[in-house]
Amino acid sequence: MSDTIKVSIRNLYKIFGDDPQGALAKVREGMTKADLLEQENHVLGLNDINVDMKEGQITVIMGLSGSGKSTLIRHLNRLIEPTAGEVLVNGEDILAYSEAQLRQLRRVNMSMVFQKFALLPHRTVLENAGMALATQGISREDYESEARKWLDRVGLAGQDDQYPHQLSGGMQQRVGIARALASNSDIMLMDEAFSALDPLIRTDMQDLLLELQAELHKTIVFITHDLDEALKLADHLVILKDGAVVQQGEPQKILLAPADPYIEDFVADINRARVLRVRSVMEPGEGGPSAGDVAPNDNLESLIARSEGAVDRSFRVVKDGAVIGHITMADVMRALVPRRSSDESAQDKAA
Amino acid sequence: MATYDGLFDTLGLREWCDGGASDGPMSMADLLAKTKGGDAAASSSTPLRDLPFPSLDALHDACGAIPQTRDLTQGLEAGFLAIRDALRIVVDPLTQPLSWMLREMLWVMTATPWWIMVPILLLITWAVARSWKIVGFVALVIGLLAFVDHYDVAMQTLAIIFVCAFICVLFGVPIGIAMSRSDRMQNIVTPILDMLQTLPPFVYLIPLIFLFSVTEPKLYGIAVILYAIVPVVRLTNLGIRLVDKDVIEAADAFGMTNRQKLFGVQIPLALPNIMAGVNQTIMMSLAMVVIASMVSAPGLGILVLRGIRNLELGVGLVAGFGIVVLAIALDRVTKASLARIDASQANR
Ligand SMILES: Nc1ncnc2c1ncn2[C@@H]1O[C@H](COP(=O)(O)OP(=O)(O)O)[C@@H](O)[C@H]1O
Ligand SMILES: [Mg+2]
Repeated sequence: MSDTIKVSIRNLYKIFGDDPQGALAKVREGMTKADLLEQENHVLGLNDINVDMKEGQITVIMGLSGSGKSTLIRHLNRLIEPTAGEVLVNGEDILAYSEAQLRQLRRVNMSMVFQKFALLPHRTVLENAGMALATQGISREDYESEARKWLDRVGLAGQDDQYPHQLSGGMQQRVGIARALASNSDIMLMDEAFSALDPLIRTDMQDLLLELQAELHKTIVFITHDLDEALKLADHLVILKDGAVVQQGEPQKILLAPADPYIEDFVADINRARVLRVRSVMEPGEGGPSAGDVAPNDNLESLIARSEGAVDRSFRVVKDGAVIGHITMADVMRALVPRRSSDESAQDKAA
Repeated sequence: MATYDGLFDTLGLREWCDGGASDGPMSMADLLAKTKGGDAAASSSTPLRDLPFPSLDALHDACGAIPQTRDLTQGLEAGFLAIRDALRIVVDPLTQPLSWMLREMLWVMTATPWWIMVPILLLITWAVARSWKIVGFVALVIGLLAFVDHYDVAMQTLAIIFVCAFICVLFGVPIGIAMSRSDRMQNIVTPILDMLQTLPPFVYLIPLIFLFSVTEPKLYGIAVILYAIVPVVRLTNLGIRLVDKDVIEAADAFGMTNRQKLFGVQIPLALPNIMAGVNQTIMMSLAMVVIASMVSAPGLGILVLRGIRNLELGVGLVAGFGIVVLAIALDRVTKASLARIDASQANR
């Protein structure tokens, strides 16, 4: 995982309507989405978005339905043109691209996975998996082995000659993923890729994605409206509301310090013990007498299990043989209670 | 004397009216009025019940400078005849291949011995429909028609349908595609299609008769094509517009060119609708070919016409029955191919 910024979105605005530029001026003066719709009859799709996406990371964009997630991800390959702002991919402004350059970007640098799969219904599974390569002008004999390799990789060996409608939803989305992987692009855009799937299959697919990612280190932009999914996948979490970013950062940090009531509501129902990791709660230094060693990426649930109910224990946090901090069960207990902005002052006093 | 005299008098137009008045040819109505004598003229005030609509003829009675309706129709005719020659210089060469195709096709289908022609037709049926049941049905229909000595006329009708439907598809599909790609094009073409579809077929035979000589096959060829091209254009446009937006978006996201999208995604996915359009086009060609026998289109329609003209009930009925079975056969064959396409991409 490097710190290179792969995709960068700067001051991006998108307004749907007849006179977006006129409406843009109003938005810059501070008009809200609701007012803009009521007074100007324009829809504020995106409002001053700034996000950096690092190479090899999964950036998850989360928000309720209608918050502008799909609109945002479609700016990355210019399926939607912005009203104002910049989109930089590998440092280049793709809004300045010619049609040919844009096509090249879509063919070589980016691939996309869709909520409703969007496979070609008249093509076989193999042809669908090879769609990106066929689009580049590669003949069937030449793309076949590549397409088959990725179909095998996503667990669809031997289904080559089936048609999409003969497969279950989960299997169709596997084809969708194979199609995106076969293009060999280093950026993958996934718009609610798993939202249409049953919960169990969805978990399978999330595991598959993480497994592939551990191996391939793609730059993935993943959209979801499901916080559990977001927390499971995200290296970087961006939370959208009414077309604007309300908070972004490492998911653990957002969970421990939600920036506003909207996010507090979001995180209220989460199983925090399972999601929070030792590294986000621990404190520096060796601390008092240790009841054992834990890894920074252990979750709090495992720690509670190890403490066997005792609340006065303290553990050393060890990474690669070196002690990097300690964690007390009191820290753990505190972290398990969702923080409310209303009782912030009370907490401050206690600390 | 006439009802509207007073109107022109009060408007002070009497002089203008009389200035233009001449002793032009008298209309039948004038003559009748004259023979009725002076009684009518004597009672100068017409009762309100009999007030005529202020039509051209009624106004002409009161004011000679206003033309009669007869002048309008004659003027139209004269105008049309005046541009006819110019129009022919353009349209004649353009449509000549149609005459040629129709003549050749008619010749091929009637001159080929039946024991070659029938197997060929059955082979085509098999190629299109892939169903022995349908092939059997078509064989039965042809056999039936041939048995009552209607083989030749049936072949003539089929020949015209084949040529016209082929040309309809040849032009209709690209027009439909163009419509699907631009809303402006759609706004221009749709009213034309609406007009072609609502005009009774008799109406566009009229200018065509003036434009071409009745011995030219293209006369009825054009009539059939104009009438039958509508559904294939409409359904091609509709079919392409109805292609799943998500799939189109995926095609865009993977960097397909417009061409790749059209031939690789849109047309294949619109094919069931396009084929439904072709089916409709063929059925409408058949309907029109029968009407077009009034302007010399050969085939079963001629016999129907003879039945009507000479009150030969039997001749008309048998030919009519022939048209019905032919229609059923054509419909079954094209529907079977449609079903085949649908089954091979059961995506809905
Ligand atoms: N083509 C469009 N025209 C007008 N409004 C649109 C269009 N596309 C999206 N919107 C509006 O933009 C907002 C964001 O939509 P979207 O990005 O689809 O949300 P999400 O994917 O988060 O559910 C919504 O309010 C939606 O109504
Ligand atoms: Mg969406």
